[in-house]
Amino acid sequence: MEKILTKKSFPQWVKKLSLYKIYAPVRDNDICNLEAIDNPESIDLDCSNTVLSPKKIIFPQREIYLEFETSDENKLQVKEILPEETPSVIFGVRPCDAKALTLTDKVFSGDFKDPYYWKRRNSTTLIGLACNIPPSPNCFCLSVGGSPHSKEGLDILMTDLGDKYFVESLSEKGSTLINLAKPLFQQPKAADKKAVEKTQAEAEKKIVRQIKDIKKIPSILENMFDSPLWDKESLSCLRCGICTYLCPTCHCFDINDEVSSSSPVKGKRVRTWDNCQFPDFTMHSSGHNPRPDRSSRLRQRILHKFQYFVELYKDYQCTGCGRCISKCPVGIDIIEVLDKVSDYGS
Amino acid sequence: MVHNDYIPKLAHILEIKEEVGGARPIKTFRTQFQNKNDFSFRCGQCAMLSVFGKGESMISISSSPLVKDYLQFSILKMGRVTSALHEMQPGDIIGIRGPYGNGFPIKDWKGKNLIFIGGGIGLAPIWSVLNTALGKKEEYGDLTLIYGARTSKDLVFREELEEIKKKIAVHLSIDVEESDWNEFVGFVPQNVTDKKPSPNNAITITCGPPIMIKFVIKALEDLGFKDEQIYTTVENKMKCGIGKCGRCNIGSHYVCKDGPVYSWAELKKLPQEY
Repeated sequence: MEKILTKKSFPQWVKKLSLYKIYAPVRDNDICNLEAIDNPESIDLDCSNTVLSPKKIIFPQREIYLEFETSDENKLQVKEILPEETPSVIFGVRPCDAKALTLTDKVFSGDFKDPYYWKRRNSTTLIGLACNIPPSPNCFCLSVGGSPHSKEGLDILMTDLGDKYFVESLSEKGSTLINLAKPLFQQPKAADKKAVEKTQAEAEKKIVRQIKDIKKIPSILENMFDSPLWDKESLSCLRCGICTYLCPTCHCFDINDEVSSSSPVKGKRVRTWDNCQFPDFTMHSSGHNPRPDRSSRLRQRILHKFQYFVELYKDYQCTGCGRCISKCPVGIDIIEVLDKVSDYGS
Repeated sequence: MVHNDYIPKLAHILEIKEEVGGARPIKTFRTQFQNKNDFSFRCGQCAMLSVFGKGESMISISSSPLVKDYLQFSILKMGRVTSALHEMQPGDIIGIRGPYGNGFPIKDWKGKNLIFIGGGIGLAPIWSVLNTALGKKEEYGDLTLIYGARTSKDLVFREELEEIKKKIAVHLSIDVEESDWNEFVGFVPQNVTDKKPSPNNAITITCGPPIMIKFVIKALEDLGFKDEQIYTTVENKMKCGIGKCGRCNIGSHYVCKDGPVYSWAELKKLPQEY
């Protein structure tokens, strides 16, 4: 289904979705955050990409698994805490971030389906916004199988055409949202479709950064485990972990007990995001650490994304959003690292 | 309802036996589920144990699947959760989820001579498969156990070992000479070289500290064992147990799910990062 929605009508559409919890980009001075919103007027679709991707909604930074408590009869009880299935809509999802959810989908599926992830995932509708202008100078989606107007993983794709949006429904979930406000949408004219095509072609040309020889990278990496490159490239790393915390595809987590009373015992078991760039991520209680230094941890980040994930799921665990490059305080640049990998292989 | 793998089942501790005292104490816990026991596992698999309020720790199951009355874990006091377990008493409640991991491919070992090589607490995962083979002795060839620890006080399952000695060849060792010790003195790999087990129609299962495993494999190779005849278990820090939390990987393998059991033929192909 293809429709036209004027920018003036956009807030009215959002108002019609009152049964849903709405998340959207909201501007806060220079940055944009993805927030739950009440007022459609606060949505800013002209924002650059949000600091955190929609991963933070589907796979929140902190999630309660269960609660435990000792009853009056001195009996320990454990209560499963699953997230409520709140129908939600996320506006302004960039194609790279939608693709990223298709990758975390793979991780949280398999023999053990993660009920926390899927409760949220299944109740959320993703409304994408094509990137007519790259939201970041470090965007490189074209190198990793994406594009600024990719529909992968989205329920609706919106393309900005000046004073209106071209709105394309890509799933039943998407059509449902359009049908809730049918009178607001118009049929696109031939000129609108042409405008979309032109915008998309121009958008691709505006992406300047790319990984050279990406297709060769996984096989080159297979022979680079002991390369001195990792030492060199990781020398400046502060192990702050921002690269993986902000990554829309990183899924590593920790599980810990948070205790409100130790006797009788009462508390919660929680999952929180964890980070392969931290020394204690892999450290055994004996002190032995299979990845004891910055070098082995940078190697893990790169190899996981461009070798191991490819072996497991036939896809790169990277969608080219550029967050890890833009936010690294010491300028570690994944594109530059991968280009050096290419050089190593040639 | 969706199955939730993160929720442990409650079990109580039936009995606790002190195996080893001193600075590196080991205790064996026998546990029983509070509700119906539908926990079926294979030798070499692990379980995620909970001490509520402290957290979880992945522990290998040291009892045989042939034993239905209890699940047994032999645990070295090391970190937060294992220290809490060592403080517990019979009757106390823990959580158990799992079983996790691949387990030993014992179906493929029928008719073969099995040589078990353990060091310290490494006898725990061996104990499950050794007792399973002992329970079905007619299905296997000769069984041999080569086991060692730092001192005679650090050997686990002392009483049971005396019983097992009546049934199979058991070669014990300690690292340093002691006055009333009549068996081998030296490291486990040296004992392997000394006892010269035959690679003919044999499988070896070796568990223990990484450094011991490394030299045992070397000793076995020198004796003519092929990579496919050598099995070991790998340990790594784990949280989820189901291949999602991302920390126990060796290359694209998640030890919790794809391990902990590997043949040397499989393990040597992976990045040496464990």
